[in-house]
Amino acid sequence: MIDPILASVFARAFKSITDEMSISLQRTTRSPILCEAKDFVTGLYDADGRMLEQTENLPILSFSLAPVCKHIREYFGDDIHDGDVVFHNDVFSLGNQLNDVAVYKPIFHDGVLVGWSAAKGHQADIGGAVQGGYNPEATEVWQEGLRIPPVKVVERGKLRRDVWDLIFANIRLDIVREDMKAEMGACVVGARRLVALIDKYGRETFEQVKQHLFDSTKQLMEAEIRTIPAGTYRGQATVYFDGKNTGSTYQIRVEITVEDGRIKFDYSATDPQTPGFVNGTYTSSASATILTFLQMVNPDIPHNEGMVEPIEIVIPEGTILNAAYPAATTFGNHLCPPNADAIIRALAPVIPERVTAGWNQLLCALTTGIDPRKGDKFVDIGFMGLKGGSGAMRGTDGYDHIGMIDASGGVLDQDYEMFEQQTPHRLVKHEYLVDSAGPGQWRGGLGVETRFLIGSDETTVVTFGDGDVEPAFGLAGGGTGSLNKIELVLPDGRRRKLTSKDLVRGVPKQTLYVQHAGGGGGYGDPRRRPLAKIREEVQNGIISRGSAIKHYGRSEDDLAGETEQS
Amino acid sequence: MKVGVDVGGTFTDFLVADDAGEIQVGKVLSTPEDPSIGLLHGLEELARERGQSLRDFASGVSTIVHGTTVTTNVVLTGAGAKTGLLTTEGVRDALEMRRGIREQQYNNRYTNVPPLVARYLRRPVRGRLDYAGREIEPLAVEDVAEAIELLANEKAEAIAICFMNSFANAEHEQRAAEMVRDRLPDTYVSVSTEVLPSIRFYPRVSTTVLNAYVGPVLSRYLDSLTTRLSEIGFCGVLLIMQSNGGVVAPQVARDHAAVTLLSGPAAGPSAGLAFAEQHQIRDCLTVDMGGTSFDAALIRDGQALTITEGQVNRYSLALPMLDIVTIGAGGGSIGWLDEGGLLRVGPRSAGADPGPACYGKGGSEPTVTDADLALRRLDPAFFAGGRMPLDERAAARAIGSKIAEPLGLSVAEAAAGLARVVDANMAAGVREVTIRRGYDPREFPMVVAGGAGPNHACAIATELELPLFIVPRDSSIFCAAGMLMTDLKHDVVKSRIARLGELTREELLAEAEALARRGRATLLEQNIPEERIRIDIEAELRYVRQYHEVALPLLPLDDLEDRFHDEHLRVYGYALAEEKTPLELINLRARAIGVTEKPKLRAESYDGADPSGAAKGERSVWVPEDADFRPLPVFDGHRLRHGHHFRGPAVVEQLNTTLFVSASFDLIVDPLGSFFVYRRGREDSLPESLRRRLP
Repeated sequence: MIDPILASVFARAFKSITDEMSISLQRTTRSPILCEAKDFVTGLYDADGRMLEQTENLPILSFSLAPVCKHIREYFGDDIHDGDVVFHNDVFSLGNQLNDVAVYKPIFHDGVLVGWSAAKGHQADIGGAVQGGYNPEATEVWQEGLRIPPVKVVERGKLRRDVWDLIFANIRLDIVREDMKAEMGACVVGARRLVALIDKYGRETFEQVKQHLFDSTKQLMEAEIRTIPAGTYRGQATVYFDGKNTGSTYQIRVEITVEDGRIKFDYSATDPQTPGFVNGTYTSSASATILTFLQMVNPDIPHNEGMVEPIEIVIPEGTILNAAYPAATTFGNHLCPPNADAIIRALAPVIPERVTAGWNQLLCALTTGIDPRKGDKFVDIGFMGLKGGSGAMRGTDGYDHIGMIDASGGVLDQDYEMFEQQTPHRLVKHEYLVDSAGPGQWRGGLGVETRFLIGSDETTVVTFGDGDVEPAFGLAGGGTGSLNKIELVLPDGRRRKLTSKDLVRGVPKQTLYVQHAGGGGGYGDPRRRPLAKIREEVQNGIISRGSAIKHYGRSEDDLAGETEQS
Repeated sequence: MKVGVDVGGTFTDFLVADDAGEIQVGKVLSTPEDPSIGLLHGLEELARERGQSLRDFASGVSTIVHGTTVTTNVVLTGAGAKTGLLTTEGVRDALEMRRGIREQQYNNRYTNVPPLVARYLRRPVRGRLDYAGREIEPLAVEDVAEAIELLANEKAEAIAICFMNSFANAEHEQRAAEMVRDRLPDTYVSVSTEVLPSIRFYPRVSTTVLNAYVGPVLSRYLDSLTTRLSEIGFCGVLLIMQSNGGVVAPQVARDHAAVTLLSGPAAGPSAGLAFAEQHQIRDCLTVDMGGTSFDAALIRDGQALTITEGQVNRYSLALPMLDIVTIGAGGGSIGWLDEGGLLRVGPRSAGADPGPACYGKGGSEPTVTDADLALRRLDPAFFAGGRMPLDERAAARAIGSKIAEPLGLSVAEAAAGLARVVDANMAAGVREVTIRRGYDPREFPMVVAGGAGPNHACAIATELELPLFIVPRDSSIFCAAGMLMTDLKHDVVKSRIARLGELTREELLAEAEALARRGRATLLEQNIPEERIRIDIEAELRYVRQYHEVALPLLPLDDLEDRFHDEHLRVYGYALAEEKTPLELINLRARAIGVTEKPKLRAESYDGADPSGAAKGERSVWVPEDADFRPLPVFDGHRLRHGHHFRGPAVVEQLNTTLFVSASFDLIVDPLGSFFVYRRGREDSLPESLRRRLP
């Protein structure tokens, strides 16, 4: 019989351990991708790599930590020792993206392996053909960056200088070295805390309580799944443009079977992989499935191994969601939005009160070059520009400027003034985009418009994403959100519209970068949206009078007295 | 004679200290609609108890130190001033976007907080400075004028001004502020370079707007309070508590209203320190467990730690404030089972109405107070000194139906479980203020306050393996006492971004001196004599390209770099001294301190070790070490004297609080009447003056 109280104490302790790891990482890293945008995760696992708890600024990374932990455990077998530290990023052994480099630290208690602490962050560079990692021209993994299958960089407490130097000889930016040290530091913090906890309660109690937490969480998840009517449901979504063939499209097809407290996501009917880098890894795709489904169940379910046990995911190798070796896959994390759309479409008819309309799909740009002010290299991922609106749901408007569903508001905009310190660019505009929200009784979340002046000559601009062809869909009579767009206005006035997977070199200083991140889809008939809300939004200039009349069915009389504030 | 007044959500607490060190304590119900009414009512009660007229009492008071949650409540309830914002064209939505965060990632029903300034009142103004503060485009005065007219028509009561990169050059903001003040002299104006001239746009605009939003309300409140106080003959000094743990004169608080936003618990650390310092203890933890929340803070070398990245109701507030961790754990916190059958406690609280089930006011959910009662740690007939009898059966019913039965436990076991979960939550709060900052909680004695704190202190100490905790006799009015221990504090900051090696010694010292002058001037305005002013200057430094800074005393300059490497190593586990990574200065901060006269705490003479004179009887109480009830001695805390000593388990009852001493702990009383509770076998943790009194 497990002491249910002790179980609560342990659950709280695991949570605070992973939170502390996260704080340590955020405060010591140097790349703005990590310390400003928080594009990293931390986690704690048992000896067999089963998840005890994790932080999820970017859930698409978190749900890959446990599978890789299990892989590392098998890979090294008996050769795992106190004081070891393992690096991993390899996409063909369950990694996300080569830039997402993980650190795993085995945790020993009195000589016995009791668990693992892990941290994984998006590193500013990982070698390969393009600084910053995104290479839409890649067709094979080696053109994308350095592969790191499980490798011990520290063995029994001693740094393996040769291995360390080999890795960093293949990476452009020095800060990556320090940021990997910060990941290692976070793992040390986690290991210390878990050992202290086991010291206090004993190993046997730890093992029993852990199992109890897995079991009770699993029951919770099974109960949630049972609230969905049993049956088989199908949904699909389109991926536009593989980066190689203009006008190309690929279908993601999911078949969801709900039965007896279990749910199965089967992607067998999904289209084959692409010739370019628009391909998923199993881990990225499965993480995308889990995080989308988690938004349809009770958000208070504890996050541990028990939560994922009732979820089965089948993704055949060779499909766009699980490309076969040695495909290029850097884009894989960003297949989450269309994957989510397919799942939402499948379940919307069954649990209409628990799904949102479509979210704005990711479209992002990365700029790299030399900052002329100091002569330093810079890499900037345009987090502020990519964050469009979420889909509305019955009873709740979409969330404005939240960004891709794979982060769901967990990654942050750069602070504007820090952006101007850390890059040579100058911000011109970052504001809500008028009329971007999908109309509805509950409207979609607003998108944003971003404009900045590029401040370095020979700048490279890389785009990755989607959503410039098909907008976020509405539900139950709600309208679509607006489209994504990225455009460069060159100093001579010429405009250049970028594709969703583009690589432009030699962009001159004083080029104006213009991006629209679209809004989310609306839910329900827009004519049923209360007039007071529409008047307020017209006054605030986020819905135009024209749209209020055209999309919301209002008359000039309805809007009398409201001045539209541009 | 000095009076400390702490206006809380439920009660207003008073502590009167006269020049001889005599202490008088008071507690009245708060009057949230106008807190000055409750305050006056409390003063009347105090005067009556002393057999004085209100006027005689008030005219004898030299200082009133006042802590208030007026501004906090204004933000929480959305009752602030109608506020407008002048900001750089192109970034007017930063305030509402909050950098695009959704705190609950998996909850699609979780909505953004409404902005404190509606979008149509956020007015874009052309004019631009670059990252170094150089003008790229002049300020468009016509835009400012147009915006002012619009905001005047809209009857804005307050106007905030925040422009891009103004931290490096205040001219555009100053020009716009002049125009506003000329055209609308009665409007409250909040200028970012006056409120928080440091880099990072979002926290600066958010803090500036918060200041504008609460400014008019605080001004009105302070006007009403000072009028009422002068009507009753008070002609001493009124000081207002700030979030940074210092106090400030009302005229300064009016202009910098945001400095009071998290002032509620800010006096706690000073109070804790005052009781610990009697024994030369300069490092300690302070915890305060009230009805709905638990506050924990860490004091190092006589100073509470300060942070500059805080939040109020999800709005960023970047002014220096004490690093106090507040969690939803108090006497009213509700215990519940989640769908997986795990017991959780809080953050929801039954508050004062209906309150815990045992209050008999219609509450049916089991709270921490109900659990304490079921464990017999509270005497149902002696709650609040017997003024408020508790309903034991109602408590048992609530715990039984909501927790014990579903889990297959007895009511006592379920109550013990509920207590244990809330204790674990509070312990986690203490961990956050210690371990998160790289400190081991076991190295610090814990000073315990709040109505519910002493009852749970042994459990928290057990969970964290703390050897010693201290319960001051008047722990239930802890913050009111703390207010009398505080100094005037004024924080000023300036962003100065440069590699450390690129600045000359003279430049750095000149910048520091300019900051110091600003701080000193503010104190002189508040009539603080020069000899009572102290200025501390800190530099916020980081390794080049890091984003977070480490704050260090600027002086001595010679070993500043070495001190930075050491501190980075201590806090984050590594330093880059060998790599010779350059350091970068981001901000200089000055804290101007006006040292106030503190009341003396009066010591009692030694009364021997025998506590039997304070014995009150015996009752059966749950002892966690036994997992069962056991008859325990009960002591009257008001009759325990310096030197009295006994072994746990035992119970100490006082008017507003009950102290539970668990089986592994013993207790000894110090000269101020504080209870020192230590783990048996860890007598070494007691100060020498008490250790030699041990029998």
